[in-house]
Amino acid sequence: MTAVDAPPSRVVALDRGDAWCVVGAGPHGLSALKALLQSGIDADGFEREPEVGGNWNFGADNSRVYRSTHLISSKPFTQFPDFPMPDRFPDYPSHFQIKEYFTSYARHFGLLNRIAFSSDVVRCEPVEATDPSSRWDVTVLDRASGIESTRRYAGVVVANGHNWFAKVPEYPGQAEFGGEIIHSADYKGSDVLRGRRVVVVGAGNTGCDVAVESAQNAEHTWHSTRRGYYYNPKYALGRPSDQTADLLLALRLPLWLRRQMFKATLRLTVGDFEKFGLKKPDHRFFETHPIVNQQLPYYVGHGDITPVDDIERFDADAIEFAGGKRVKADLVVFCTGYLVRFPFLDDRWLNWSDDHPRLFLQMFTPVFDTLVVAGLIQPDSGQWTLAHWQGQTIARYIEARRDRPAVAARLRQRVNDETHRRFTAGTQYKESTRHYYEVAHQEYLGAIERTIHDLEAAR
Amino acid sequence: MSAVSDVRPGRRRTRAMRPWDWSLPPTGLAHREILTVEPATASGRPPLLFVHGVAHGAWCFAEHWLSAAAERGFSASAVSLRGHGGSGGAAQLGRATSRAYVHDIMQAITELPEPPVLVGHSMGAVLVQLVAERYPVRGLVLLTPAPAHGAWATLAHTLRTRPADALAVVAGRTMPMRPELLFTGLEANEAERLASRTGRESPVAQYELLRRRRIGPVRCPVLVVGTPHDRLVRVDDVERTAAMYGVEAQWLSGMGHDVMLDAGWERALDLVLDWVDVEVPPGTPALGPIRHTR
Repeated sequence: MTAVDAPPSRVVALDRGDAWCVVGAGPHGLSALKALLQSGIDADGFEREPEVGGNWNFGADNSRVYRSTHLISSKPFTQFPDFPMPDRFPDYPSHFQIKEYFTSYARHFGLLNRIAFSSDVVRCEPVEATDPSSRWDVTVLDRASGIESTRRYAGVVVANGHNWFAKVPEYPGQAEFGGEIIHSADYKGSDVLRGRRVVVVGAGNTGCDVAVESAQNAEHTWHSTRRGYYYNPKYALGRPSDQTADLLLALRLPLWLRRQMFKATLRLTVGDFEKFGLKKPDHRFFETHPIVNQQLPYYVGHGDITPVDDIERFDADAIEFAGGKRVKADLVVFCTGYLVRFPFLDDRWLNWSDDHPRLFLQMFTPVFDTLVVAGLIQPDSGQWTLAHWQGQTIARYIEARRDRPAVAARLRQRVNDETHRRFTAGTQYKESTRHYYEVAHQEYLGAIERTIHDLEAAR
Repeated sequence: MSAVSDVRPGRRRTRAMRPWDWSLPPTGLAHREILTVEPATASGRPPLLFVHGVAHGAWCFAEHWLSAAAERGFSASAVSLRGHGGSGGAAQLGRATSRAYVHDIMQAITELPEPPVLVGHSMGAVLVQLVAERYPVRGLVLLTPAPAHGAWATLAHTLRTRPADALAVVAGRTMPMRPELLFTGLEANEAERLASRTGRESPVAQYELLRRRRIGPVRCPVLVVGTPHDRLVRVDDVERTAAMYGVEAQWLSGMGHDVMLDAGWERALDLVLDWVDVEVPPGTPALGPIRHTR
């Protein structure tokens, strides 16, 4: 069937009527798809890989987990609230278990036969670019046959992930460096480190994980960081430390008191970072994305990791750090993070400014009310409780558009007015691309909850 | 008789913030008893998950109902809450909360191949309502339900008729499950045998039955079943529970509180299964309903 009103260049193979399209079958795509179906909204999912899991689909092109990846937040806030992880899982499950978890979630809710697998969404285009309620033409590449086809949808939920496009820094002399340089995007396991002299760049959670694995496998490891950080333990006072943190929030303790308690706990459990030779944090607690790594100070204390400053320049066989220190190394692992990219979508549709989309609740674009992004958040805790509620918000919004236009119109007004609102719980995040999407989990969820209440209003 | 209900009993709205679940999660359980009887052939019907009440266990559904439901084409499971029936956790039963029981039910649900119709009896009826406000159940059946608005009428009635029992409950002991409270139509031996299978209840969970619960939106069909001869749950309370969901209570006259065990259990089960077959007919998708408007 060819739609009559399609532009001549665009052949629409199938008009899916009121159905929505969900791009991606990672946790955010799955929870959005489930929420839509649960609310009686027809929807199709598309996933480029043959299986669900997204980032957690170890070994897939766009998966960024490595063999030893475990959760850094414990189960209670990390899991979907309507599908808890099994009791047999540990506090911090591995990526293998997480993929198993997503698969059973998809199977339980009957999502598997609603997702087209090995189907790469290559283009999403509004039918009428000037109409904020435009329908969407979604062009999909079937990876098995190599055939592209276009379907028309009422709207699109984009959940293609935010941790897959590597952010690679450039330093003077980098091209002449005789050793190997990789980005953590291509780091799959510790084999590559064995017996080598390794420089790990970056102190995100990946950087710290890789530095620790390197300490266990390499000849020697240098860990280059731009500033000092708080390296939080996974357990504090015998409990997963994020649960302790949430307890302080549940008790409504003020920010300054929580800061003091955290510092005291760190001092009691780890001690003074400077005594390990680590840099003193240049910021206050909660101002950077939390790093959860108990082992890093341990290996620094054993002399297997030498903390170093920012890289200044590369030579043929050595690396010079700020302050003049030179190190002969044969492998550099850039754990420098990821940038958000939507290769199938025009940046204008998502209200980009200063290199990131400005969206209401980090989901809704003011340009279209039929285009929503799920998963553009980096919480200071678990992710998938938020994924669940993002999905529910999207579904309630589509419901309201269908059944209660006045309610939906009120939300549109907020979408237009509040695209710059951040959810920092009173702190000021350090300026960095990694904090573009940072949210304080409880404040963000509170905002989501209030939005859902607005959307549930009768009129 | 029933309706797809979006009524908000006690006017609680959708609740995303559950700080106690995140900071003090219920402990996991090494062994959880789930008894299941599968039908001979798959029928496209939704699975049923039965949740027992105070001091009971999955055994009370295994006695008659599970196999009878399977004969009618349902995959029928019953879970024993922690410290009950064949589940672990007896040593910690003294501090088990309703939140932990909800956790046990959620764990049982995630092991099912698709979302179930939840059937809760007595205290289990309160628990399945707490599950339904956070999880998309296909349907909700409340059998002789303990009132979510607080079981003060039951306590007051007990105080008048059996003051010693009421004082025991107030002191934190398990409500004595006397045969005459549970059954009306069984022979004395049989009634005694079944009543003797009941065990202990967590005092915390028992106190929590007095708490007024505000339950969030429940978006599924709801069936409320009572009996006028129930000596534990008052008729008024059953009617109030039904009214909260905008439905009419269904009555099983002549039966005692334990409708799955008392004489006439076949009649009670038929009432439930007939309702499920109407409200969630075979072939209903796991999530839905999908409105195809093309």
